Amino acid sequence: MSTRFEHDDDGVVVIIGSGAGGGTLAHALARKGIKSVVLEAGKRYALEDIENDEWAMFEKISWLDERITAGPRQLTETFPNLPAWIVKGVGGSTIHWAGVALRFQPHEFRLHSEVGEIAGANLLDWPISYEELEPYYVQAERHMGVTGEASGMPLHDWNNNFMVLAEGARRVGYEKLRAGPMAINTRPYDDRPQCMQAGFCMQGCRFGAKWSTMYTDIPRAEATGYCEVRPNAMALTIEHDERGRVNAVVYADAEGKLQRQRARAVCVAGNSIESPRLLLNSHSALFPDGLANSSGQVGRNYMTHATACVFAEMPKPVNMHRGTTFAGIISDEARLDRSRGFVGGYTLEVMSLGLPFFAKFMDPANGGWGRDYAAILEKYDHLSGVWICGEDLPMEENGITLHDSRKDQYGLPVPIVYKGDHPNDEALRRHGQQQARSCYDAVGAVRVFDVPDFPTSHNVGTNRMSARPEDGVVNQWGQAHDIDNLFVSDGSQFTSSGAENPTLTIVALALRQADHIAERMSRGEL
Amino acid sequence: MPLAIGTTLSRRRFLTLTGALAAGSLALSASTLWPRWARAEPELATRLLRLGRDIYPHEAIADRYYLAPLTPLLEEQRELIAAGLDDLDRRARAAHGRDYAAVDSAAEREALLRQIEDGEFFQAVRNTLVVGLYDTPELWQAHFGYEGSSWEQGGYVGRGYNDLVIDWL
Ligand SMILES: Cc1cc2nc3c(=O)[nH]c(=O)nc-3n(C[C@H](O)[C@H](O)[C@H](O)COP(=O)(O)OP(=O)(O)OC[C@H]3O[C@@H](n4cnc5c(N)ncnc54)[C@H](O)[C@@H]3O)c2cc1C
Ligand code: SF4
Repeated sequence: MSTRFEHDDDGVVVIIGSGAGGGTLAHALARKGIKSVVLEAGKRYALEDIENDEWAMFEKISWLDERITAGPRQLTETFPNLPAWIVKGVGGSTIHWAGVALRFQPHEFRLHSEVGEIAGANLLDWPISYEELEPYYVQAERHMGVTGEASGMPLHDWNNNFMVLAEGARRVGYEKLRAGPMAINTRPYDDRPQCMQAGFCMQGCRFGAKWSTMYTDIPRAEATGYCEVRPNAMALTIEHDERGRVNAVVYADAEGKLQRQRARAVCVAGNSIESPRLLLNSHSALFPDGLANSSGQVGRNYMTHATACVFAEMPKPVNMHRGTTFAGIISDEARLDRSRGFVGGYTLEVMSLGLPFFAKFMDPANGGWGRDYAAILEKYDHLSGVWICGEDLPMEENGITLHDSRKDQYGLPVPIVYKGDHPNDEALRRHGQQQARSCYDAVGAVRVFDVPDFPTSHNVGTNRMSARPEDGVVNQWGQAHDIDNLFVSDGSQFTSSGAENPTLTIVALALRQADHIAERMSRGEL
Repeated sequence: MPLAIGTTLSRRRFLTLTGALAAGSLALSASTLWPRWARAEPELATRLLRLGRDIYPHEAIADRYYLAPLTPLLEEQRELIAAGLDDLDRRARAAHGRDYAAVDSAAEREALLRQIEDGEFFQAVRNTLVVGLYDTPELWQAHFGYEGSSWEQGGYVGRGYNDLVIDWL
């Protein structure tokens, strides 16, 4: 088995979380000969654990520890304890993720400069530009096996679901229609097989055709001998010395026993709810408001993407469940164009759900039943669906706070996840729904209907990057402004949400951060 | 299963065997496929079934597929269910002069349910059904055209993931 490091080995980097950010970082550091211990709250899974079964996989791998959904939205009623859909397990949400791998656009790194102040929003430019990140985008695409130029893999063939949407889109004048880019192999690549179009991408890919740190970065990091992964290890607090440098992480092991792992540096990658929660829980005399929180921005500016879902019943069967879940992307509306009545853009991504999920999510509110509801379900094989992935503006009050008295199984205060919409988000969503409807109408839909939000899968922004320490939590390297050997390595460092799915950017940032950490170590600064 | 419920069931099952079942208005052939509790308590089962079938009406789906997912709910929250059904009958009698299940018009029954859709009883039944009924693999292909797990057959490569001809325009 893999290398084991002593608990008092203070030469290791401790990485918290093994998903897109943490898994990538562990692997990249290991390849440079930097030792790390990865603490992962969830279990380890094997490919054989992955089933083509929506509810079974949801219950098996999702993060179901108590969380409170708060804010002025329907989700507080429909999913009071499930604000977000995240994986708890080695591989993190890259087991569930659907593989859509889009780059942010250059203007999205400087949205504040582009559009100026917007009342009610806490907009800020990223302290890093597209140009600086571009080489890492290329590296990330090769690394993950993203179809397109960088990997040399062709895009997927259009599946039936996308053919329907794309035909409608063409008729309304859209031009940027593509089956990808996706981190799903169209032919064998990087020791992983080609996609079999099984259609259960969000339950985990049984074939391993989709990139996931579960079976790529994590085992490869371990194989180098420089990385030890500890599953069932929930980090509770990060400790520091009297100078304020972090030096250990206290975690609960599989038996619930407390352990303390010494650390040379700590990288937090627990996804956008757990990462700020951990920092807030790690308050001390020196850092009374939580670690790295002199700005007061830890846990704030939570963004989830402005989303909505539209489904349409077509005159004949479509069989949307066949083939990749998010089989195609329309990017015409991703541009910045204020004439539409909102800033920021959105992508339209064709989407499918299996019958069990669709029956629940078509209308999870109390009213989701009755003759009309059942009639739509009987037309399941005639349906096509699209998901809107739009820029969600950061608002200071959206975020993660700790409950006063409720504790979870680890004895930690339960997180309250508050999210409201900016009027801009609402305008964007309405526009997206209208455009999606037009696409489906143009291709002869029998009926088109909106589907309300479900627990969010894109969670970013709660430890945001900023040029000035007063405005955010980390700098352009993901390094805490307040503590120079503490890093944030996941989606929580996003300054804005963009109109694109987050993971490719998370991976690019992690690869870049690994270079930075290695350089500073070689200069003796860490 | 809590002991108390087990005891009730066996007593009721005894009643069934002594002929209580035959007294109901049920077709015996179909009800032999019902879950045990439902065979033992045909009256309660029939009332719950009417409700389940009104929440997600699918003519062609057999009764037992509604009753099976509701079984654990009944075991865990029997009082809530029984009280909820009684309340529903009271409402039906007030509005139409008869028990809920005896109201002929589906639209009228749905209207009664709309009044209670936010209540705990209705939500418990609906939430159980929406997850349970539609997660029944035997029903998928025949009633909805959903094919379920596909990795065993190597996914849909070469099996129609990209065979659509849009000829309906
Ligand atoms: C259904 C679904 C579909 C998605 N589809 C796409 C897509 O198509 N494209 C895209 O770009 N993105 C997609 N995403 C989002 C993507 O999965 C996330 O953006 C990404 O995985 C986030 O990376 P992360 O490193 O921030 O966190 P994660 O990947 O979630 O990893 C966090 C890990 O940290 C662990 N952890 C948390 N707290 C602690 C603690 N205190 N101690 C120890 N371990 C801890 C968690 O158990 C988890 O394993 C999807 C997500 C879901 C759920
Ligand atoms: S469609 Fe492709 S990527 Fe998705 S689960 Fe199936 S084989 Fe894996």
